[in-house]
Amino acid sequence: MDLEQDLLRFETRRHFFNRCGMGVGKAALASMLAENAMAAPAASANPLAVKPTHFPAKVKSVIYLFMAGAPSQFELFEYKPKLVEYDGKVAPDSLLAGKRFAFMDTFAKEKPKLLGTRRKFARHGKSGQWVSELLPHTAGVVDDLCFVSGVNTDNFNHGPAKCFVNTGSVRFGRPSMGAWATYGIGSESSDLPGYVVLQSGPRGPRGGAALWASGFLPTAYQGVPFRSGGDPILNLSNPDGVTNTTQSRTIEAIRDLNMTKLGETGDPEITTRIAQYEMAYRMQTSGPDLIDFTRESKETMEMYGAEPGKASFANNCLLARRLVQRGVRFVQLYHTDWDHHHDLTDPLDQVCREVDKPVSALIRDLKRNGLLDSTLVIWGGEFGRTPMGEVRDAGKVGRNHHIDAYTIWMAGGGIQGGRVVGGTDELGFNPMERKIHVHDVQATILHMLGLDHTRLTFKFQGRDFRLTDVAGEVIREITG
Amino acid sequence: MIRRLPLFVAAAAGLGAQNADVAFFETSVRPVLRTQCQACHSERNKASGLSVETREGLLAGGNRGVAAIKPGDPAGSLLIEAVEHAGTLKMPPTGKLKPEQIEVLRKWVAAGAPWPAGEVSRKRAGGDHWAFQAVKRVSPPAPSVAAWAKNAVDHFILARLDQEGLKPSPEADRVTLIRRVSLDLTGLPPTLDEVRQFVEDRSPEAYDKVVTRLLASRHYGERWGRHWLDIARYADSDGYTIDAPRTMWRYRDWVINALNLDMPFDRFVIEQYAGDQLPGASTDQLVATGFHRNTPTNFEGGIDFEQYRVEAVADRVATTGAAFLGLTLGCARCHDHKYDPVSQREYYQIFAYLNQTDEISTEDERYDYLRPTLEVPTTEETARSTAWHAQFQALSGELVRYVRQLKSQGVDAKQDLGLRERMKNLREMRRQQPRITTTLVMRDRSEPRENYIHLGGEFTRKGAAVQPGTLSILASVKPAGATRLDLARWIVDPGNPLTPRVTVNRFWQHYFGKGIVETESDFGAQGSKPTHPELLDYLASEFVRSGWSQKHIHRLIVLSATYRQSSRNREDVEEKDPYNKLLARQSRLRLDAEILRDSALRVAGLLTPTVGGPSVYPPIPEGAMAVTQVKRPWPVANGPDRYRRGLYTFFYRSAAFPSLLVFDAPDATSTCTRRVRSNTPLQALTLLNDQAFVEFAQAMALRLIDEVKTGDGERLDRAFLLALGREPRAAERDRISRFLNTQRDEFKTHPDEAKKLAAQPVAPNGDPATMVVVTAAVPEGRDPVELATWTSVARVIFNLDDFLTRE
Repeated sequence: MDLEQDLLRFETRRHFFNRCGMGVGKAALASMLAENAMAAPAASANPLAVKPTHFPAKVKSVIYLFMAGAPSQFELFEYKPKLVEYDGKVAPDSLLAGKRFAFMDTFAKEKPKLLGTRRKFARHGKSGQWVSELLPHTAGVVDDLCFVSGVNTDNFNHGPAKCFVNTGSVRFGRPSMGAWATYGIGSESSDLPGYVVLQSGPRGPRGGAALWASGFLPTAYQGVPFRSGGDPILNLSNPDGVTNTTQSRTIEAIRDLNMTKLGETGDPEITTRIAQYEMAYRMQTSGPDLIDFTRESKETMEMYGAEPGKASFANNCLLARRLVQRGVRFVQLYHTDWDHHHDLTDPLDQVCREVDKPVSALIRDLKRNGLLDSTLVIWGGEFGRTPMGEVRDAGKVGRNHHIDAYTIWMAGGGIQGGRVVGGTDELGFNPMERKIHVHDVQATILHMLGLDHTRLTFKFQGRDFRLTDVAGEVIREITG
Repeated sequence: MIRRLPLFVAAAAGLGAQNADVAFFETSVRPVLRTQCQACHSERNKASGLSVETREGLLAGGNRGVAAIKPGDPAGSLLIEAVEHAGTLKMPPTGKLKPEQIEVLRKWVAAGAPWPAGEVSRKRAGGDHWAFQAVKRVSPPAPSVAAWAKNAVDHFILARLDQEGLKPSPEADRVTLIRRVSLDLTGLPPTLDEVRQFVEDRSPEAYDKVVTRLLASRHYGERWGRHWLDIARYADSDGYTIDAPRTMWRYRDWVINALNLDMPFDRFVIEQYAGDQLPGASTDQLVATGFHRNTPTNFEGGIDFEQYRVEAVADRVATTGAAFLGLTLGCARCHDHKYDPVSQREYYQIFAYLNQTDEISTEDERYDYLRPTLEVPTTEETARSTAWHAQFQALSGELVRYVRQLKSQGVDAKQDLGLRERMKNLREMRRQQPRITTTLVMRDRSEPRENYIHLGGEFTRKGAAVQPGTLSILASVKPAGATRLDLARWIVDPGNPLTPRVTVNRFWQHYFGKGIVETESDFGAQGSKPTHPELLDYLASEFVRSGWSQKHIHRLIVLSATYRQSSRNREDVEEKDPYNKLLARQSRLRLDAEILRDSALRVAGLLTPTVGGPSVYPPIPEGAMAVTQVKRPWPVANGPDRYRRGLYTFFYRSAAFPSLLVFDAPDATSTCTRRVRSNTPLQALTLLNDQAFVEFAQAMALRLIDEVKTGDGERLDRAFLLALGREPRAAERDRISRFLNTQRDEFKTHPDEAKKLAAQPVAPNGDPATMVVVTAAVPEGRDPVELATWTSVARVIFNLDDFLTRE
């Protein structure tokens, strides 16, 4: 256990013994505790209590739009006329030397050819950023987006690479970014989990729960998967035949009996347990309200393309705004099916349609609610796709995994939008000037939350671990 | 939360470099030196006589007789020349550094090669570190309170308490005691009869008898087997992204069985590491080698299989360190260990032992992706298989005879309907060939892999060749030979002080919440020191002396007065020893995830006590399996398997059973030597609302109604007795009676709600052992209002801190 936690714990105990005294009668104790029993749990008892940041934070919350499967930057944001010009030419060996790709055998059989995009690009917004025809709505908010181009990562397979973006390691079992954030500074919501995960698309993201795990941090910090239809959290509804009245009476009875036990043993864990039952009850009562979209205006629903009760990315975006509004620290949305090896036509159109409108709606909605300044929004996948085409089915062309240079964007928290940070060469193979690594992105996200990535550590198996391993540098061009 | 070594900062204020220089050195320069050069040029290895680990080493240079760096003059520094590949010496030999890494080194030399002062004073834990010393058996000190002490354990504990002026706590009451020891040894609460018997048994051996009974129970192997499965990172699926199911329950059952038989711990380890290399290895011994095959395996499309094979081997090394040696071996994967005497070379020597398994490493072998495996048929499978083979042989024999007959008759076989029919039957039969249970095992390749140091921990960058070998710091243990079996024997060599200490310390941790060494997997320089070093050694020596009997150590601990103390908090203890490290009292511990389930099952009278067999599928909350990449089936058990103990629940690594995970069961991605005990609102939601726990409460209600006919008071007594081993105290009785009456009124006025809550899975003949859940219904002849009311009461009881906690 580390020093700070120790002190906190010590304080709790001191407080307990000083105020309660071991000799004080049970009745006195019970009445003392009953006074604020239904109030929010004491800071020290709640692992998600707000904790001080290392330095003033730029944002309170993060919404991470994770595009699982790795979107093709060349079809969306990276306008590369040279690549179009050299379309169909065999990729020069000098560019491929020393690189490792997924599905090496495909590239070994036949030398890969460069692939220029078939999509139309145009400049958008006041800033004149390039966006393709696939994302017309995103193009409408381009002045709020800061593109980070030429991001590179370590592993070319989906599972490990997703794990890497989320936990800073290709090895499964490390704490995820949201877990680090809530471990570091807690959450401002007293009736919802601090770290919420939302999913949409035809299947779950590769890697599953490992992507939002708490690893060696206490499980209180793990991401809680919400569903956009039905019960948002597992076991949030009362069992059949248990009304809210019965449930609250049940919790009261448990509380009173636990207090008797507390008086007997003086075990501070019981104080925590009592607080957690109160929190569970508040989650139960606020959960339905959270997912109840009936108070949202028709205009808002249409802007997102949200439909009540439907499991969609659009609903999740709206839910994300509602979560952030309620003080949730870290919200992560997964939308799957971006892995376009075979075909960059219809399947890509489809997934772009699913995310484009809701994403722009989220930005606009956060902005008009005054939340964009205190929320960091990130859009990106686990890696990008190759400048070379990949032919798996005759007559169709897709792109392979590319880990040396891909594109994400960030918005909110005062980040100046309408610009590109970084950049890649004319063919999009490599970063142009300095490399921006995934660990740098992670350092930047923590920085926006007021956390120094080198100081946010946890001791495990003899080592101080951190999200950024032994690397990472805050991208100052982004944070300003 | 913020903890950095103040080492350099403090030193830098004096003679050494300025803070900015130090920061640059630590964040940019040292990582390059450490990961790119130090594998060969460390203080220990000094390839070509050069060490880059100290400034002095660089200034002295290597065998060439020239300084490696000239501070302030990058152009004249051999180091820079070598990394730029400017002259004849090109370093590293495996490939040029990245341009930015070269730039960092150049900038650093140009700036005068600043190095944090005081660096030399930092030394790795050496031969004099406590954990590397031979186990010393010290005679227990004479107890100051002779009447309190039960055995040698207490003598050590008392001596330390005396120093602090603390008195031990009195023995816990009998109910608490039997509940505690039953939960600790078998993971199940005592039955009513067991409690009654113990409370009434006034003989001096009463407690001893209970302990003997529990250690002989087959549930002991389940309880302590689960602790071991945490270490073995046991799961029923492959892990990573595809996370396909695999059958490993044979290994799980081997563990349970070995513990129940009290297999000596040295043999327990040897069989798991190298059962296949024992002469005349039995099937069981082969199954045991599944221990190191429990590593997650990746079969995603487009991967480099070798990368994940290497990752699995690295996990085996890390597990070896954490589980037996108490050393963070993983820290030496990329460079020499910073704090402990483990060089990177030694890391790869251990790696070499575990690197010979015949696992796949190329795409071409994908069809055989779990190799090597072993077929281990169950009795039924053998019977079915034998029968099938006989039948198949008969059918195919008949077919041959028929064809011959056709030929002899000169009939065109292709046109013969009889033949077609027979062929069809045979094909159909082949499809029905019974499946045989397999399990993953260790088996070495015929052609051994060559072993190298992986420079910077990257498997693509081969450094110097290495041979299997053990750690030189353990001078007291004979260096091992070259096989896995040799490694296993080295781990449990009686001269190895680490293995017995680490093992008994883990036992201790399970009984008191933390070990004598709190950092149970790190006995190195960064770990905590033992609070009772002599006791640790006493237990370790006793472990080896008893022939590595685990039950002997368990017995010793649970019979001690230290273990039997009350856990009640005391103000003087709180004052002098707030973390209860000295054990002037017992600790209250929240039950482990599986044990919570098991306890509720037993109390409700639902438990199916079958030991072993394939993993099972109890009810799971809707949507819990929606997070995986590939949809996995969850065929909910409607028979007795619905109520098996938690450790038999099928465990998907990518979608772990929610109620286990929420109560801190490990995720099985790497070895777990200690579970955290969290306290979260999701736990409350699980116990209150999870279908499984609702069913437990319903069954409890039915049991109370059927077994106690005399009235509410008696029923409440019985409920408390079943769940907590005691009757409710007056205040508790008042409170819960009030709740009971309110709920009864509630359900009387809302009979529909009552019917819903009373509707439970129904066993047609009332015998849970043969139960097949057809549908949920109000059990025949019972009043739904009473059932719902008592179900409500049972829900309260299953959520009490008292129920969730081992006192």
